[in-house]
Amino acid sequence: MSAASDQEVLRVENLTKHFPAGHGKMVHAVDGVSFSIQRGKTLGLVGESGCGKSSCARTIIRIYEPTSGRIFLEGEEISHLTPKQMLPHRRKMQMIFQDPYASLNARMTVQDIVAEPLRAHHICASRGEEREMVIDMLARVGLNQDHAGRYAHEFSGGQRQRVGIARALILHPELVICDEPISALDVSIQAQVVNMLRAFQEEQGLTYLFIAHDLSMVRYVSDDVGVMYLGQLVEKCEADEIYSHPLHPYTQGLLSSVPIPDPVAARQKESVGLEGDLPSPIAPPAGCRFHTRCPYATERCKQEVPELKEAGPGHFVACHAVNS
Amino acid sequence: MQAASKWERVASGIGEADRLYSKPRSFAGDVWFRFRHKPTALLGLIIIAVLILFAVVGPFITPYGYDDQNTKFANIPAVLQVYPAPDGHWLYITKALKVVEVDEQGNLVQQLRKGKDDAANKVTVYPYGDGLTVTLDYSQTPAAIQDAEGNRISETKRLWNKTYLLGTDHLGRDILSRLMYGTRISLMVAFIAALVNMVIGIFYGGIAGYLGGRTDSIMMRIVDIISTIPLTLYVILIKVCLDDGLLSIIIALSSVYWVDMARVVRGQVLSLKNQEFVMAAQTIGSSTRTILTRHLIPNAMGPILVTVTMLIPSAIFMEAFMSFIGIGIAPPLASLGTMCNDATDALRTNPYQLFLPAIVICLIMFAFNFVGDGLRDALDPKLKK
Ligand SMILES: Nc1ncnc2c1ncn2[C@@H]1O[C@H](COP(=O)(O)OP(=O)(O)OP(=O)(O)O)[C@@H](O)[C@H]1O
Ligand SMILES: [Mg+2]
Repeated sequence: MSAASDQEVLRVENLTKHFPAGHGKMVHAVDGVSFSIQRGKTLGLVGESGCGKSSCARTIIRIYEPTSGRIFLEGEEISHLTPKQMLPHRRKMQMIFQDPYASLNARMTVQDIVAEPLRAHHICASRGEEREMVIDMLARVGLNQDHAGRYAHEFSGGQRQRVGIARALILHPELVICDEPISALDVSIQAQVVNMLRAFQEEQGLTYLFIAHDLSMVRYVSDDVGVMYLGQLVEKCEADEIYSHPLHPYTQGLLSSVPIPDPVAARQKESVGLEGDLPSPIAPPAGCRFHTRCPYATERCKQEVPELKEAGPGHFVACHAVNS
Repeated sequence: MQAASKWERVASGIGEADRLYSKPRSFAGDVWFRFRHKPTALLGLIIIAVLILFAVVGPFITPYGYDDQNTKFANIPAVLQVYPAPDGHWLYITKALKVVEVDEQGNLVQQLRKGKDDAANKVTVYPYGDGLTVTLDYSQTPAAIQDAEGNRISETKRLWNKTYLLGTDHLGRDILSRLMYGTRISLMVAFIAALVNMVIGIFYGGIAGYLGGRTDSIMMRIVDIISTIPLTLYVILIKVCLDDGLLSIIIALSSVYWVDMARVVRGQVLSLKNQEFVMAAQTIGSSTRTILTRHLIPNAMGPILVTVTMLIPSAIFMEAFMSFIGIGIAPPLASLGTMCNDATDALRTNPYQLFLPAIVICLIMFAFNFVGDGLRDALDPKLKK
């Protein structure tokens, strides 16, 4: 057990996050999500917009207080630590944000932005040392010394995202949560940024929780993939497996919306597609939350909540049709 | 690079692309750039600078204090309509039918001592110098000086009052000097009130907005309560305790005006704190203090500055108003408000005594409003052309 938890960088058990929505109602942003990530691996988390991916990430990194459930970082439980107790753990866990414009303070220079983690954890003894570390880090993300004195608004989206990555990696964290780090970028730059993230992973043995709302990029970066729907994990398995054998109807629907480079294959592929909109997370449907949009929904799906069960080796899925 | 090679391929390199960047401009530089391209804003700034100079340096230059009075020269305006005197000097007749001797340059020399009064003919004879006399004829309005033959002199001349450049008030005090002291008090009240309000407002609003929830509700209800009590009441109450007009006005303004600032800052912080850069700071582990002082407040600085520049004219007006109705600055201290008040009694005969301080009040308010407007436009990137 101890060997296993040594390998395990992040473990999440039954994580739940509800936001008050007024009038005593709750937004069920995250509802009983469990997973773990091994050292040096990447878990891709996919799902439509609004299914709770960001909320899940922010709860794990403890910007949001979890409603219930437990979070273990390198075997230590961090779910209910006070901000002060949390501080040493923050060094081990960093986040890269989706919006390269909103995630950098417009009133700070790149030098100050990247040095902020160093200052928060009192790592450098002097300003000179700090500056050296920042410039070293900037060089590693493909920026140079001249960029350090500039303000974020003078950069392109890709360059900004590099600044964000530099800020996240300067503390040499174990776990990096990437919340759609590339979805706001140009396609040409997306590849650059993803390759850079992969290079860092190989170099430092980083562990990633990689969030995206489409499956195409996730396949390239992830070892495992988890599919989220309305705050719940509905399918989880190896990245290649999910493309070759998607079991959950929702995953199949998501995959059918991925453009296929080969037109012949595209025509052959039966199109399931996703119909309808995401139901409100304030009053999620009873039973299987996907039943309102599922082409295979039965009476049982409307009443009974499916459990995440192993349907094949290492392939977990929460669907009555698959599991029975 | 030569012109011939203009269309040739340039060797690639990161440095080349970076050099094409325009000079980096900080946020403040950007704001200043936009601000200075707005004429009214710049005008406002210049007026404020001149007024500050006027109020700070002026009192050192003028020979009169704010309470130096010479009742002999009371109610004398800036521009004098003068009659020739027998010896080449000039004579000015005040509204109270006093005759004042003025030299060629316009310096006031003396008020003539009354001689024989001939009530039947409505003339008064004043001895003037060595055996000469001057006759004031008040049989018609306006009163006039008679020449040697006893005819009213119709030929008059306008002279600028060199002794009191802007004239004197009803007690013979120099209006220009009093304006300097009055402006000084106005600006002082304004800046102290602005500073205090900024400090209290930013901290109070920042904490309420950042902590949110219950703390926020309680703190904002306190703000609501404070803002419903009328300001005049505070000033009167504080003045009863302190017996010092200036201090009580400053304390009253400081204890009330910050509520607007607190509301603005709270609103800003509320909207900023959910932005990703604040979350980034939280995930990094930055302290609440760092987040407030390095992230939230600098980003809220625009609206804060605009609120301050808009608050200043209102504080200035409040001080003038309080002094005008007599619960502010106590005489003989000069404030623009007390000067206006003093002038109201003689408004019909000496309107300049009211207009001069009123013009200064207007100037100050205009200037600060212009600057506030300019700042708001300069700080709003959406209006960026
Ligand atoms: N701070 C909050 N307060 C209240 N509700 C929230 C909050 N944050 C998120 N939600 C709600 O939780 C649900 C999940 O939002 P979340 O941002 O986690 O989705 P997401 O999967 O990241 O979507 P996207 O792909 O658009 O980023 C949404 O319905 C959202 O409205
Ligand atoms: Mg999101």
